[in-house]
Amino acid sequence: MQSEKLIQQLLEQTRQITNQAENLKTLDLNTLTWKENNTSWSILECLEHLNLYGDFYLPQIETKLKTSISNPEIEFKSGLLGNYFAKSMLPKEKLNKMKTFKDKNPLNAKLDTAVIDKFIGQQIKLMDLLNQSRNVSLNKVKIPTSISSFITIKLGDTFQFYINHIIRHLKQIERIQLAMKNA
Amino acid sequence: MKEIIALSDKTITINRNEFLKVKGSIDTNIYYVESGSLRIFVLDDYEEQTIRFGYKENIIVSLDSFLTEKPSDLFIQAIKKTVIKVITKQQIQKFLETESNRTLWTKILENLVIQQMEREIDILTNSPKERYERVLKRSPQLFQEIPNKHIANYLRMSPETLSRLKKS
Repeated sequence: MQSEKLIQQLLEQTRQITNQAENLKTLDLNTLTWKENNTSWSILECLEHLNLYGDFYLPQIETKLKTSISNPEIEFKSGLLGNYFAKSMLPKEKLNKMKTFKDKNPLNAKLDTAVIDKFIGQQIKLMDLLNQSRNVSLNKVKIPTSISSFITIKLGDTFQFYINHIIRHLKQIERIQLAMKNA
Repeated sequence: MKEIIALSDKTITINRNEFLKVKGSIDTNIYYVESGSLRIFVLDDYEEQTIRFGYKENIIVSLDSFLTEKPSDLFIQAIKKTVIKVITKQQIQKFLETESNRTLWTKILENLVIQQMEREIDILTNSPKERYERVLKRSPQLFQEIPNKHIANYLRMSPETLSRLKKS
């Protein structure tokens, strides 16, 4: 895929993500903290989980963008591992439950609407990084994953993986809203 | 202008604070505002600077992207719930195949150039009072449609300065 085409696609996904978060800001705190049972997440917990991921990945990407001496390339080719990670994040029709790493689990943390503002701030930051990524190679710049700093994936795949992970949990938020309606 | 609006076959609604366009995206559409209001702004080091507004019966466009078909730094965000008609560049190009339509189109573009010049003079005017008076004279309706904090940003002054100027 052409690098610019990928960046356009990722910016558009980030725009839609930001708009969905803006709409969540209109909900009251009762809705935002409602949960189906003790072990499931509330809307704010989903967002806080995403914020924890953002706290990990966004600074990593920013540092790599600043220190990279690679040149932009017209074509981006997905890596084997990166492509697998990115695809595995996408929600399936029937929910495929995934394990959450303990340090990324926000269950029962004290949360308020500041979580949404932080999330939107991270999306603006992500757009900024996507724009900056035009100056480097989406193929040659490698980002360490949160699993292990020895496992790295291409910058282009990291963006897609990161955004797919957000989309996954925004779908979860839609399901929480539905469950609350039916409760 | 109604000839241009008639080209549209798509109407969309965007909620308050939702983004129609974000920094770095390519957007070659022209939008006609049926109701509500939007603002165009740029963001540098987390400081927003409002460039233009669109409200009822206005055209709003990321003009750089429309002309060049390249990424543009502009954000377009709804100030309140807004209904807009979408006119694509392809629709405009087809429209311009007719000679008489080109005259109309040139008029619209000329008008845009004049507006841009007025805006350039605004920004280069030193006195906040004069900046305020220029915009008030040119677009009195702006002050009915757009919240103070956004107008203050557009005029490059604090909301407090703007309220003081409005009272005097």
